Amino acid sequence: MVYSCVIAGNAATKQSFNMEKIQNKYKVLVNEKLCPKYWRMVFDAPDLAAEVKPGQFIHIRTDEEGLQPFFRRPFSVYRTRKYVEIFYDAVGPGTKLLSLKKKGDAIDVLGPLGTPFKMPPPSTKQVILIAGGIGIAPMLILSDVLKNKKYNLVLLFGGRDRGHVYPMQEFKDNGVKVHIATDDGSVGAKGRISVLFDKIEKKPGQTFIYTCGPNPMMKAVQDFAGQHGIAGQAACEEIMACALGACLGCSIETKNGFKTVCYDGPAFDLDEVKFH
Amino acid sequence: MNISVKIANITFPNPVTVASGTFGHAERYYNLEEVKRLGAIVPKTVTFHAQAGNPPVRIFETPSGMINAIGIENPGIDGFIARKLPALKKIGVPLIISILGHNEEQFTGIIEKLNAESGIAAVELNLSCPNLKHKVLVAQDPEATLQLVRKIKALSKFPIVAKLSPNVTDIAEIAQAAEAGGADAVSLVNTFTAMAIDIKKRQSRIGNFTGGLSGPAIRPIAVYMVQKVASQVKIPVIGMGGIMTAADALEFLIAGATMIAVGTGNFINPRAPVDVLEGIESFMKENKIDDIREIIGSLKI
Repeated sequence: MVYSCVIAGNAATKQSFNMEKIQNKYKVLVNEKLCPKYWRMVFDAPDLAAEVKPGQFIHIRTDEEGLQPFFRRPFSVYRTRKYVEIFYDAVGPGTKLLSLKKKGDAIDVLGPLGTPFKMPPPSTKQVILIAGGIGIAPMLILSDVLKNKKYNLVLLFGGRDRGHVYPMQEFKDNGVKVHIATDDGSVGAKGRISVLFDKIEKKPGQTFIYTCGPNPMMKAVQDFAGQHGIAGQAACEEIMACALGACLGCSIETKNGFKTVCYDGPAFDLDEVKFH
Repeated sequence: MNISVKIANITFPNPVTVASGTFGHAERYYNLEEVKRLGAIVPKTVTFHAQAGNPPVRIFETPSGMINAIGIENPGIDGFIARKLPALKKIGVPLIISILGHNEEQFTGIIEKLNAESGIAAVELNLSCPNLKHKVLVAQDPEATLQLVRKIKALSKFPIVAKLSPNVTDIAEIAQAAEAGGADAVSLVNTFTAMAIDIKKRQSRIGNFTGGLSGPAIRPIAVYMVQKVASQVKIPVIGMGGIMTAADALEFLIAGATMIAVGTGNFINPRAPVDVLEGIESFMKENKIDDIREIIGSLKI
């Protein structure tokens, strides 16, 4: 099966994927807890790893036989090297089932899906990654791609408490300066992520933001960026059924009408989305 | 082995199709060998004017099913004919075009525009979308069903399929009305009006307040309704409601459906329609059945 997907870049190009290739069973290599809240799963999927761009996602069937939960679950790709990694919070019925998967289990995966992040414009000097909680998921693969491009890379991470923070050594290894805020101040600065916004250089054209997290957080980032004329991209989330742009279930409001998160997104221009 | 089926004068290569609204306008899947194996393609319902659809949240997961209130987001009949139909025709699979008018003039207006086209196998009248804030659906009123079908049938150069709502006291009565109006087939069931509530916010989970329930959760009710309708009309029935596998599809065929559609199952397993088709063929082989007609309506009563 072939469906086409817009691959955004400085020059958007159309790329086709073969459907036989986008629905596959992959074996779990690693499924581990990174911190009290978050898990990392690694799939033996070198062909998929070669295709995925930062901001794209995979759609996983967590219960193939019992239909419980019924929908697949979408996950941003956290990292691709030889393998495909996802980063998740075992919080609902689907992710709890996922956390029980063992090494060697085969899982039905659709991917890579969605429109990836655009790359920063040529004038960019500072790239700010702003992630709230599980919104960290698409940021590591992005830093893998951006690390050799001489940007000043900064990660602002907001979490609820110590249990929602993990070492983030991989970001530091990529040369990313990491700043953390927690609601209770147990790690880093105390308060919402906006307490870290002073790390953002207010230089339109030179600063570029990528953000992913709860909608109120992304709204705060959008407002800040708008005030200072800074451009960026937001990775959005919505409940998804098909993830192929067919059901139109995951539509969100944008300045340009309803757009599907699964196909038009997940990555949108930061100023395009109407966050509620 | 014969697996072809007939509706009106149209022969479909096999009984497996997709339910309207679950295949987008199918463009994501063009060129695919698997889609070319379908008995028919039913694109998402087209209205007279373009529609933006309902505000989010549009879908919610339920036990073995989902509630949706997409609101027929579509480019309108002119946009459909200009931008969608040419590529759909290229696939080479019979097309059943699902249409919806908010009044009789819109229905007839769409038909007049489709009459100018070729390469369409049949037209399905969506008389039963529960998500458009109509107080009463056409498919909830036998007289309205009869009159509308009669009017469209007289106008259309293509065979007419009436898509029925399960949100009625007696679906067979509505099917008989469609038959009396000249429908060439009926398709059932559309979704069941449903609601889920966020108990923290004490609000509906769905932006449109209510939605339609589909998926395996409704399958036994859909099988029952297909059996009931098939036993009371002479025209073919297209059966749907929660089909995920060949075994599910065979229930509908045995209950009396001439064709079956995979709907919500497409979202969970994009290969479901092809799995269903291959599964029906292996069932026939294993049971030494030469013609699909030996299965259709073979329920022992």
